[in-house]
Amino acid sequence: MSFFSDAQFGERVITLMAALALVLQLGMVSQRWLITNIRLFGVQSFLLAAIAATIAHFNHAPHLYVAAWMTLLLKVVVLPLWLERLVKKVGIRKEIEPLINVPASLLISGGLTLLGYVVAESFARPAAGLPSRELGHNTLAVALALFLIGFFMMINRRKALSQVLALLSLENGIFLAAISLTYGMPLVVELGIFFDVLVAVMLLGILVYRIGETFESTDVSKLRRLRG
Amino acid sequence: MKQLAVASLLQLAVLLAVAPLASGVIKTLKARMQTRRGPGILQPYRDLFKLWRKNMVVPDSASWIFAVAPYVVFLTAAAVGLMIPMIAWEAPLGLFGGVLAIIYLLGLGRFFLALAGLDAGTAFGGMGSSREMTISALAEPAMMLAVFTVAIAAGSTSLTEVARSAAGQSWRFLAPSQILAFSALFIVLIAETGRIPVDNPATHLELTMIHEAMILEYSGRYLALIEWGASIKQLVLMTLLVNVFFPFGLSASWRAPALAIALGVYLLKLLALGALIVLVETTNAKLRLFRVPELLAVAFILGALALISSFLF
Repeated sequence: MSFFSDAQFGERVITLMAALALVLQLGMVSQRWLITNIRLFGVQSFLLAAIAATIAHFNHAPHLYVAAWMTLLLKVVVLPLWLERLVKKVGIRKEIEPLINVPASLLISGGLTLLGYVVAESFARPAAGLPSRELGHNTLAVALALFLIGFFMMINRRKALSQVLALLSLENGIFLAAISLTYGMPLVVELGIFFDVLVAVMLLGILVYRIGETFESTDVSKLRRLRG
Repeated sequence: MKQLAVASLLQLAVLLAVAPLASGVIKTLKARMQTRRGPGILQPYRDLFKLWRKNMVVPDSASWIFAVAPYVVFLTAAAVGLMIPMIAWEAPLGLFGGVLAIIYLLGLGRFFLALAGLDAGTAFGGMGSSREMTISALAEPAMMLAVFTVAIAAGSTSLTEVARSAAGQSWRFLAPSQILAFSALFIVLIAETGRIPVDNPATHLELTMIHEAMILEYSGRYLALIEWGASIKQLVLMTLLVNVFFPFGLSASWRAPALAIALGVYLLKLLALGALIVLVETTNAKLRLFRVPELLAVAFILGALALISSFLF
């Protein structure tokens, strides 16, 4: 019973879930199957929703519950289903072919994680006088790592749909940074972001479909010539 | 002195008795998950008993290595089993060495198994040995990094100290470096015990087998020793995972009532880990051999990140 009111325990749980999200992100870098990648994204989003709910519980920020439910609904249920349907509809090859081979990509991702930790360190030890915030600092490092690795995945992949997926995991990093630093932005901002993500993915999905229709491939490196 | 002997005997008995049971439970759980009936959980004991009574066939081309290897495999696994804390904080043979000794004793067993695979002079044996050594060369650094993470947190490479300090600090297992190290070590466990994304323990398919290819020429008592040794090695790695990362329920002394409770908790933890292994085995397809290094690269990166993040925070 005492665990549920002990703030320190809450921080531990949040850090743990953030670390798991990082593990999943590395899994996405190494995983070649598109469908598995989509499911990994779903699980990662579920962890984010859980983190949001935990922060809401321990820091008494009830509007974060709304963000948690929205994440659960949109990123865990709707978007993965929609993306899987798209994979079936376009008939994309199910395997992702990254530009850089997987072990090298993983090494780069490890380096990016380090970069995230180093950058977060400077936030954690602010100029003298200001109190440092334990929660922000570890979770922020993970959030930055998610963001950077997401960016790297977007560069590293050829197919449009796998790039959309990378964009989504990048957005997960931003969301994590936002909730861990500010303990929740105003609800209007959160709602706006969710709407943006939804619309962006819908549009990108339609774009991917059209690219697939016109060029008979979703490989963006083939988009060099104009077609009538 | 007397207590040490009793503790060693007790742990050895638990080790030898539980190891085939762990294999059996995993096999049965896996069958149930795939809606098959599967063999009973006691099947490995029956197999061992049957193999033990059978005559052996030894290839003409085999040298003394062929005869020595089963004993080396079995004895190194059993020795390692006495060097890790299993039901009590204190490992009976903990004085003989810490984590490094454990990793390299297992390495010695593997080395002899690979030699034995080559020794019989068949093509499959050589292929299996070469694959086994490739995979272990990739898995070992990841295992080292993950284990060092834990050792640094405890300030000692002695597993008794690791278990004691881990049990002292409540909720330490929730630290991010611990979860990274756990993930790394879990992948290593899958690779080292020849489970599905890396190797399939249930088939003798020529093109894919690794462990089975090395022991193809063995029969009778030698095969029983090797199989038993392999299941002990699996139990040792599983114990390492559950007791180092989730060190609750370990008994502080070698007294009977405390030990009984500790044994129960230990078996429950093993069951949970076994269920996790079954889940991974059932939901994944076997990787192509050339993709295995990628999986182990994940383990390596996770281990490296775990080590670095334990320094940063």
